[in-house]
Amino acid sequence: MTAVLAIARGVFKDSIRDRVPYNLVFFAVLLMAASFLLAQLTAGQDVKIIKDLGLAAASLMGVLIAVFFGIGLVAKEVERRSIYSLLSKPITRSQFIVGKYLGLVFTLIANLAVMALAYYGVLAYLDWQTPASIKAGWEAAALDPMLLKAFALIAVELMLVTALALFFSTFSSTFLSAALTIAMYVIGHFSDDLRTLESFGASPALAMIGRGLYYAFPNLSPLNVTAAVVHGQAVTAQHMLLASGSIGLYVAVLLVASTLIFERRDFK
Amino acid sequence: MDAIRTEGLTKHYTKGFWRSRPYAALEDLTLHVGQGEVFGFLGPNGAGKTTTLKLLMQLIFPTSGRAEILGRPVGDVSVRRRIGYLPENPYFYDNLTAEELLIYFARVFGYSAQDGRARASRLLDEVGIGSERRFQLRKFSKGMIQRVGIAQALVNDPEVVFFDEPMSGLDPIGRREVRELILRLRDKGCAVFFSSHVLSDAEALCSRVAVVVKGRLTATGRLSDLLANRARAWELVVSSVSQPVIDRIAPRLTGVTVLGEGRFSLELPLTVAPEQLLAELVATGARLVSLNPVRETLEDFFVQQVRATDEAGIVRERTAS
Amino acid sequence: MAPPLRTRRTLHWIAFVVLLVAAIGTQTAINGAFERFTPTQEVQWVRSPGVMRRLVLGFNSVAADIYWIRAVQYYGSTKLSKAENKDYGFLFPLLDITTTLDPRFNIAYRFGAILLSEGYPNGPGRPEDAIALLEKGIRESPNKWEYYLDAGFVEYWWHDDPKAAADWFLRGSKLSTAPNWLQPLAASVLAEGGDQVAARVLWTQLAQTAEQEWMRRTARTRLQQLDAENVIGQLQPIVNSFYDRANRFPTGWDEMTRAGLVRGIPLDPTGVPYTLDPVSGAVDVAEESSLYPLRRGL
Repeated sequence: MTAVLAIARGVFKDSIRDRVPYNLVFFAVLLMAASFLLAQLTAGQDVKIIKDLGLAAASLMGVLIAVFFGIGLVAKEVERRSIYSLLSKPITRSQFIVGKYLGLVFTLIANLAVMALAYYGVLAYLDWQTPASIKAGWEAAALDPMLLKAFALIAVELMLVTALALFFSTFSSTFLSAALTIAMYVIGHFSDDLRTLESFGASPALAMIGRGLYYAFPNLSPLNVTAAVVHGQAVTAQHMLLASGSIGLYVAVLLVASTLIFERRDFK
Repeated sequence: MDAIRTEGLTKHYTKGFWRSRPYAALEDLTLHVGQGEVFGFLGPNGAGKTTTLKLLMQLIFPTSGRAEILGRPVGDVSVRRRIGYLPENPYFYDNLTAEELLIYFARVFGYSAQDGRARASRLLDEVGIGSERRFQLRKFSKGMIQRVGIAQALVNDPEVVFFDEPMSGLDPIGRREVRELILRLRDKGCAVFFSSHVLSDAEALCSRVAVVVKGRLTATGRLSDLLANRARAWELVVSSVSQPVIDRIAPRLTGVTVLGEGRFSLELPLTVAPEQLLAELVATGARLVSLNPVRETLEDFFVQQVRATDEAGIVRERTAS
Repeated sequence: MAPPLRTRRTLHWIAFVVLLVAAIGTQTAINGAFERFTPTQEVQWVRSPGVMRRLVLGFNSVAADIYWIRAVQYYGSTKLSKAENKDYGFLFPLLDITTTLDPRFNIAYRFGAILLSEGYPNGPGRPEDAIALLEKGIRESPNKWEYYLDAGFVEYWWHDDPKAAADWFLRGSKLSTAPNWLQPLAASVLAEGGDQVAARVLWTQLAQTAEQEWMRRTARTRLQQLDAENVIGQLQPIVNSFYDRANRFPTGWDEMTRAGLVRGIPLDPTGVPYTLDPVSGAVDVAEESSLYPLRRGL
């Protein structure tokens, strides 16, 4: 266990200083600031637009960061051979996988926290600028703490994306891993539509495939509570638990699968 | 108990798009290294040296055969507590500093943070990294990374260390320092298994060597046993000799090198008694500069092993396994 | 310390299978439990199609595709949602933007018209929007006889206006590319008025010739609806005869069966029982049936 935590700590230290995520986080913050300007163009919808765009930016940048890190976890290490020195230490390959994954999740949460801070910053500015009469008409307060629930579920989503990227990178190159992970992410978001494919005019064979994919793949749509939270609708603790738990199981599946592949892999 | 022991260790890859052509990276390697021994694992590029090291570190899995380290099979995770490994062309984590890397590895071993810091400090001193230890590894030159690599291999005070091309990237001063370090390790009772194609290092350090060519072990044993410990010729360097004198004795020599200004280096076959020839030359007014037996060097031996393998027509790719 | 590799691997395989089953099982079980946060609250940030076209910087086709997908998803999720008052308000604007970005987007016109005219609550029930969309299509592609046909359909089926329908068919038949059955179709529609024969011909044609499976399926559904209409036309007088005898309408099909007026519960062509309203005596297809609602004004 200490070995796992030591690896996690090392990964965290290395990843948190990486430049690419900084750029992506910066870009997300920029988007949030820009959303403020955009909101001025659409009278009355400003708080909603800022909330919507901000969450979308955080989610999208988060996914990119997760993919970037996920493939760096294994594929990049294998390509650059830095994996040799770590694997020759007294750790099993499964400890390696779990430790790396944990370190990465911590890094992601740190990045997400920065984005959340910027998000609330922009909203606080809006809140300060808007007169009380208009604020009365808002469906939910600008600095609604419920928004944190949205961020929490984004974090859960990122944990899955990272696990996906890690899984693919145990057996394929960096580029292929990135492509496959993004593809699965997209499928995960269209999961609901996979089930109802036939009502969209697909042939019966395709609909059956769609339904199979729907059942087997993790469904990412429950993690997207943007619509509810932005409109001030409640997101129940039960929803959070169920969604997180279900995704958590998939993460476990991916980590075990990664270990299985990793254990028997030759590092040429 | 041997420090390292392999029996019939073999690694075959399949090459080609449809994975149809088997390729023997290593074939039937059997050797042993005693505790406290410095063992040189020599061979030309592509001979299978790195493959062997990776098999010993279980970075790759053998096709057949076994290997043991300190009496435990190579797959045993616990034995890795007592060994250290320096990979070829090492690469670590760009954003960590040298210090942080060593502390990281120390903690993976289970040492406390404090202990890790102490070890890191000591090891970085030992490999000659000074204030640069606070810089991130991305800023390090190849030679400095090599030193860090050696340091990380020693974090746990290992009983056996495996070095893959330890001198690579180092300047002459660095190489001397590493040589001294290896000798210090030996003196501490640590077995050192290092692969190299730089023979002078092996000659200076190793008690025993193995030579692999094209994936096969061609020779192994004590250096003194492998190299004919008899002179194969004499080298006589004389001065104040004139050319006509040299021409007169030339038929008895196997080689003459003109060093200039009346100095010559003469190579005498074993059949010629050097004392007698020297007496003749002194009688003509020559002066002795040096007289040395010429022993077979490791380089000669090495080249001869490689050539023998070529002539034996050993082929690594087989059409049928 | 750590168990040997083989033992570890066996454990890992077992863990993998168990976790996979657990993951899929859990997700299947709870998927229904998630409330669907309907996207009916879509905001249209850019209202003008013209502005949209300029905004997409030339990636018109891709943007049109994206909007088309959005329109279809919007329709689908609104239709499938369990909300009380479904609002299809964004459907026409989305289709409008789609067809402005790509004026030759054939399927957007034809399919879009079908979606727009679909009766509430399975659709927005706005045939006038459908015709407006088809008129736009005709402006962009004057030689598309299919749009005239579709517009005629809408008039005939949803507006119950055979004269307007025949007018569309005639105009369409004048195109050089038009098939030769359009003109006789116009004639028979005029002649039959509200009769079903022409309608049957129309739908049968479409069921056989339309390029998209969805449109063929719609046509077959329409034919089933026509059959249902016929059956209702036969059942209604029987129900009325019950009233004549008992001075009230029957409580249900059971009573009708016991009275010997029908043999068992009548099912519509999709196998769903017809409903019998005990207050008004009206026979209709059930709301759950995919044939609901039948066209109005019958």
